[in-house]
Amino acid sequence: MNYLLHILIMINIYMILALSLNLLVGYTGMLSLSHAAFYGIGAYISTLLIMQKGIGFIPAFLLAIAGTTLLSFIISIPSLRLKGDYFVLASLGFQIIIFTILYNWVGLTRGPYGIPGIPRPNLFGIEIDSILSYFIFSGIIAAFCIIFLYLIGDSPFGRVLKAIREDEIAAAALGKNIVRFKIIAFAIAAGFASVSGVLFAGYMRYIDPTSFTLMESIFIVSIIIIGGTGNISGPLVGTALMIILPEILRFLRIPDAIAANMRQIIYGLLIIVILRHKPQGFSGEYRFE
Amino acid sequence: MLIQLLANGIISGCTYALVALGFGLIYNTTRTFHFAHGAIYTLSVYLFYTFFNLWKFPLLAAFILALILIAMLGILVDQILYIPLVKRGSSLLIQMLSSLGFYIVLVNLIAMIYGNETKVLSPGIQPTYNIGSVILTRIQVATGITFVLLFVGLAIILKKTNLGKLIRAMRDNPQLISVLGINPRKIRLLVFSIGSALAAFAAILMGLDVGVDPNIGMAAILNGAVAVIIGGIGNFEGAALGALLLGILQSLAIWKISSRWQEAITFLVLILFLLFRPEGILGKRRRIEETAI
Amino acid sequence: MSILELQNVSKSFDGTKAVDGVSLGFDQGKITALIGPNGAGKTTVFNLISGFLRPDEGAISYQDKNVAGLPPWRRAQMGIGRLFQDVHLFERMSVKDNVLAAFKNKFGESALMSVIARRKIEKKERTHITEALKLFDFVGLTDKANELAENLSYGQQKLLSIARLLANGAEFLLLDEPTAGVNPQMVGALLEIIRRLTKEGKTIAVIEHNMNIVIEIADWVYFMDEGQVVSFGLPSDVLGDPDVRRAYIGL
Repeated sequence: MNYLLHILIMINIYMILALSLNLLVGYTGMLSLSHAAFYGIGAYISTLLIMQKGIGFIPAFLLAIAGTTLLSFIISIPSLRLKGDYFVLASLGFQIIIFTILYNWVGLTRGPYGIPGIPRPNLFGIEIDSILSYFIFSGIIAAFCIIFLYLIGDSPFGRVLKAIREDEIAAAALGKNIVRFKIIAFAIAAGFASVSGVLFAGYMRYIDPTSFTLMESIFIVSIIIIGGTGNISGPLVGTALMIILPEILRFLRIPDAIAANMRQIIYGLLIIVILRHKPQGFSGEYRFE
Repeated sequence: MLIQLLANGIISGCTYALVALGFGLIYNTTRTFHFAHGAIYTLSVYLFYTFFNLWKFPLLAAFILALILIAMLGILVDQILYIPLVKRGSSLLIQMLSSLGFYIVLVNLIAMIYGNETKVLSPGIQPTYNIGSVILTRIQVATGITFVLLFVGLAIILKKTNLGKLIRAMRDNPQLISVLGINPRKIRLLVFSIGSALAAFAAILMGLDVGVDPNIGMAAILNGAVAVIIGGIGNFEGAALGALLLGILQSLAIWKISSRWQEAITFLVLILFLLFRPEGILGKRRRIEETAI
Repeated sequence: MSILELQNVSKSFDGTKAVDGVSLGFDQGKITALIGPNGAGKTTVFNLISGFLRPDEGAISYQDKNVAGLPPWRRAQMGIGRLFQDVHLFERMSVKDNVLAAFKNKFGESALMSVIARRKIEKKERTHITEALKLFDFVGLTDKANELAENLSYGQQKLLSIARLLANGAEFLLLDEPTAGVNPQMVGALLEIIRRLTKEGKTIAVIEHNMNIVIEIADWVYFMDEGQVVSFGLPSDVLGDPDVRRAYIGL
């Protein structure tokens, strides 16, 4: 039962990551490889505030979102003027730079040693310390995030994002300030990613930079490629699929030593096959083309 | 001290350059961000390891065999991965993402078969040479010489032969190629085989120098891509120049700051170039539209 | 009365002057045609007016305001609308969404408001939908409202472009070869729409290669060749000018 709850908690965490990246990739058409960086920044900001400054969970949570969103401007403002391919490369560069900082600024983050002993969230005196309660807690947060992201996407704002994805020139000729919309979309995506980070830290009770690497960014991108983008169901389906799949391998008694590799091979194959034969993913609206 | 650092930097730049030249060749002619190049790089040295260390082939035979197989594999990757996507009119983004998928598959296959630990290819201390005030190991010297030979060879092919002219034509004006009645497939075959072979040279030399593990490909391909952008896209001398500069920059960074920040500095330089000089040092400013949107 | 003016505007690319010291004016409520051989600089002029290019020299003023430094989106908000030769629609969105996206909707196009002020936004959406339906009637696309833009015929795509410009509140429309590639039956409908727009006070600038159409609808003509304005005046005068005939092969 705990095992099942663990899976569901991870699904909650990754759903938020996938849906927020979807706003950037599926709606606005910008492929970002730096999502894991914001995931990590959220985790570190909240953890450090709670453990070193003694700040309560809720303020730390909110400050983590604010901090990550502000940091996103440092990345987005210079690079959002870059064209397609170059933007992807810049986002890749930022991802690696942020990882390197998290890994090497040992004085701040304890680098590769990680931060253990992260307390479970304490809301108004109630400590969320059982797996079941964490599942409910993360589920409620995820539900709110899904609702917010849905409201943001299914609106005139979301429509402008899609217009930008379809044809920037036309959107500009119709009076849309392209760069401003992109910066806002990027900030929203980063903010929600940080929510996942806070949830992750509070659940695992230990974080280190190796959870927030380039490969992790690529993993999140794969979720929305495979599940589909441009709508709500795609990322949800993708998350469920990608989280449950490795567990199926475990059931097949594949030795742990090669299970990790096996999992990656399946991801890689899925990416290739989906892009070749079903570019809208299992359940998406926007065809990668 | 400085000179030794510069020398080390130049030599590692030579390795990057071999990767960058191959990557750049492929990118310039096909516009594909061939992420899988990193997997090809990794596979070449593992193949060499199999032939040389496991099956005890003589060095040269192992080398040549690995080279040939990798060149063929490079062509195969293009045929089964990219060409079907190109035929369908898929965007370059899709090709890049598929390439990434292929990288993930191949590298993990290698890890499954050979294990994740570092393998040493040439045990023992290497003989060194004193050149002026600089000390270089035999492999470093071999790397430097190999790079120069291959660079000159590539330059001759590209500038003096008809084949080279076709490759350059495809780089500058892909549509013209089919109009002239030349089969772009043939050129793709060439650039993928040459590019992959170059990666194999780089990988095997690096393997003999420091050993291998399944993850070396990522760093190699990223360094190669950064080198191409710094040096100038569309310009194969640029790729080499960018790589050498990158090698020197990293060497200096290790000296002045610390090797831990090497990656961050590399990508900071990349971002600065993307923002302020996207055409690279030697590239021509491709003014598409000044869409100051 | 001139609503938009170019004064001595020049623009070079790689050393070649695409537009060389050009001065033009567009009168309000009139249809002004820009004609000339390919490469004369006509589309460049349109790009300069709409902001997709910045002039190297010269001044561009719209409603007496200097616009030369403003980005395209700003000029669009001021009322300068652009119809592109290669249409530039939001292809994978429906006709309806194409037009809805075109309405000026500063309040609605906010992520924050989408969450906290949903009802107000939905109310505005409903008014926009009503206006959109009127626009569909105007251009004749009513039965295609839910069709994806990429599935329309070329001529219908042009009509959609015009509908979008109108939804956007464009007062000065730059139409780049509006009739090119459109089947002859639709050309008539297009011209009729263009005429009706001027009756509503809109100003039209049109790049046209079909001289019959120019004679039929233009109030004023500028003839450009090699980046310069060579001749201008009433259509019959300009088209009757032997220099123009000589430069413009195929008259």
